[in-house]
Amino acid sequence: MAVKKLSKEKIGEALKELSKFRLIAPARSDEVVIFKEIADPEEAYLDYGNSTVPPKKVVFPQTETLFRFMVGNPELEEKNVEEEGTTVIFGLRPCDARAMAIVEKLFSWDYDDPYFLKRRELTTLVGMACVEPPSVNCFCPSVGGGPFGKEGLDLLLTDMGDYYLVQSLTDKGKKLEETLASQLEDAAGGDEKKAEGMAAEAEGKIRRSIKTEGIPEKLPGLWENDLWKKVSAACLGCGICTFLCPTCHCFDIQDEVEELGDGRRCRMWDSCMFSEYSLHASGHNPRPTRRERTRNRISHKYSYYPSRFDVIACVGCGRCINLCPVNIDILDILEQVVDA
Amino acid sequence: MVDINKLREIAAEVISRDDVRELIGYRPGTYGFRARPAFVTGPEEVDRLIFTPACVNNLATYITLEEKLPVPRGQEPDTRKVAVMVKGCDSRALVQQMEEKAYGRDQVVVLGIPCTGVVDMARVEARFPGVLELGEIALEGGKFVLSFDGKVEEVPKDELLADKCARCRYPTPLVYDQLLDDEVARFADDDYSDIEALEKRSMEDKWGYWEEKFSRCIRCYSCRNVCPMCYCEDCVLDRINPTWMRRSVDISENTAFHIARAYHLAGRCIQCGECQRVCPAKIPLMELNRKFYKDVGELYDYEPGTNVEAAPLLATFSVEDREDFIL
Amino acid sequence: MGDNTKTDFEPNIVAFLCNWCSYAGADLAGTSRIHYPPNVRVIRVMCSGRVNPLFVMNALQQGADGVLISGCHPGDCHYMQGNYYARRRFNLMRNFLEYLGVEPERVRMSWVSASEGAKWKEVIEEVTEGVRTVGPMDKFKRRQLNW
Repeated sequence: MAVKKLSKEKIGEALKELSKFRLIAPARSDEVVIFKEIADPEEAYLDYGNSTVPPKKVVFPQTETLFRFMVGNPELEEKNVEEEGTTVIFGLRPCDARAMAIVEKLFSWDYDDPYFLKRRELTTLVGMACVEPPSVNCFCPSVGGGPFGKEGLDLLLTDMGDYYLVQSLTDKGKKLEETLASQLEDAAGGDEKKAEGMAAEAEGKIRRSIKTEGIPEKLPGLWENDLWKKVSAACLGCGICTFLCPTCHCFDIQDEVEELGDGRRCRMWDSCMFSEYSLHASGHNPRPTRRERTRNRISHKYSYYPSRFDVIACVGCGRCINLCPVNIDILDILEQVVDA
Repeated sequence: MVDINKLREIAAEVISRDDVRELIGYRPGTYGFRARPAFVTGPEEVDRLIFTPACVNNLATYITLEEKLPVPRGQEPDTRKVAVMVKGCDSRALVQQMEEKAYGRDQVVVLGIPCTGVVDMARVEARFPGVLELGEIALEGGKFVLSFDGKVEEVPKDELLADKCARCRYPTPLVYDQLLDDEVARFADDDYSDIEALEKRSMEDKWGYWEEKFSRCIRCYSCRNVCPMCYCEDCVLDRINPTWMRRSVDISENTAFHIARAYHLAGRCIQCGECQRVCPAKIPLMELNRKFYKDVGELYDYEPGTNVEAAPLLATFSVEDREDFIL
Repeated sequence: MGDNTKTDFEPNIVAFLCNWCSYAGADLAGTSRIHYPPNVRVIRVMCSGRVNPLFVMNALQQGADGVLISGCHPGDCHYMQGNYYARRRFNLMRNFLEYLGVEPERVRMSWVSASEGAKWKEVIEEVTEGVRTVGPMDKFKRRQLNW
């Protein structure tokens, strides 16, 4: 089975073909890159670094209705995710796809989350390799990923100049290739080798790194260490790092009831950095200050999650570093953990 | 230009005092041109303090941000003061907080830094992308001088200056115990031309404009948390019973969030611009706050953050207040 | 939204009336059998100064097409100054909502005293017609029971 290629001239056609599904691609709203459903191929903005909000919001929406209830109706109207139909996320970065695979472990651990898993099943991920690092703060190789990483993706596109090399990685990927049969051509024989070389070069361009070996085991012992007070002193307690993190997945469930008693139960993203996150109904808060919450967040990503799922819950996308208003830097924290 | 050695000397003196618990200043960031807040507890730590045009954060927010935990039995509460370095705009936050009686003047030691302007870091990073090793920014003779990766680049001031600085009325702090440099005279004003242009657009246009912005909002609450004036323990934006805006994220709740927050800052926002700087969705929040600022100034001749003795705007009224809109 | 040939649009207007003046004035209009449009839903508050400006935002969010706050004339407030505070608050809120694209016809304020039953009719007629002209409020209306 030959590896395919997609000429850049045919991108518009390909996207048009894909828009018969629910097609999600990077687009611009003012100067902000967001993933959104596009109807017109012109809206897609593929020449981008990375989006502010990761595409996790496609399989794990920021707000989603679980069921609706109406006064007088003994049956709940449950959300049917199937109705959303087949979805294609076109042009996401390998880190964001890997993050979905990492989070999937939790959503299929002690309880199969029907919403997340069904969406995952219905979604085909077409990745765009990072020939250049989207940011100076990328560090995906340090946490098990890479700029041309394939984990979590169904197809990987690599920008070879006039065309994209298209590598299908799963059955879903193959199916999508068949849909695009008219736009795809066979790639040249040496292209895969060339892409491998580009991958190594791309990894070399990533300048930040951390040696994660030993960190998961070391963190629990640093519970009372005063590094947490120092690194969290500037923290504002907002939700930027958690909401923009592709592996963060905490949610709150709330009922929204209208005046007559009709309503819906919905879940929405929550952030462990908010003070109300662990606030008990009694008024007690086991994580009363930003120090405890910062300690918890880092420990969750780099210790608790690995101890249960054998993988660090961080893909090195660098969004938290770039967008933290006070320059709290996870690599800076981890370096202090290593030195502690 | 602030003399960095003098700044560090004064900082060392202040933090050595028995009655000062902590000093909040700036230190170099972790990459590129960024600077970040520094929390100093002893004179041995003052050497990392800096003050450059990269010091964009409003440190006044930390005075009211710090969580006040119950004091364990048998312990006395720590009543020592907090020292904080403030630029002109930041000092207005302190003034407004004191006007509202958030704390007494004797609980802070204010080190005022007359400011000649800070950069818009997004513009800096767009102009000089890919800088990882720590670089420095200085202002010399009307130009920003950026030193990074072994080279030095000069850029005209207005190309990298933060928008808020181009409108700054108060470069010299309005409250201070010590001033760390010579006073800077007012060099700009706000003509509200962009606010007025937006006011003149049609209703559909205006709503279309704000709908696109509010649709991007992810309710991270960063604008609220960074704001020095948002320090209510029981914030209206978080409340349940009554739930002013639901936690669900959609255009209706997001609009309600922004209306409520902007309104709660009417006559209180001191124009530090931090909310807009921190917003990851790049919502032009200052266009909301400056609309209120303009109205409050024109209708009620009131400017927040300028006089500790003034009464808060909405706690006062005048018999002559405008009422031509009332039937 | 600019086209308002919908002759069947009946505005939904929420009115906050102060107990001592405006509510009594509205009541007087009723007992005097003065006919006025039925589009107003009245919420009685003790004073116009009690009205939180966010009530306006919340009413519009929940589907009201317009909001009216009515109180005692300046100088006559039962609680001395409540209406003065209300005047400041609603001036600011109205201007701000207009800046976001919410028509000023939707946010109204009036002084109606306890003896002004006739004025009440005029106020309601003006407010109702104003909201009818600008049409239903849809801009940031809560989409109830949405998926």
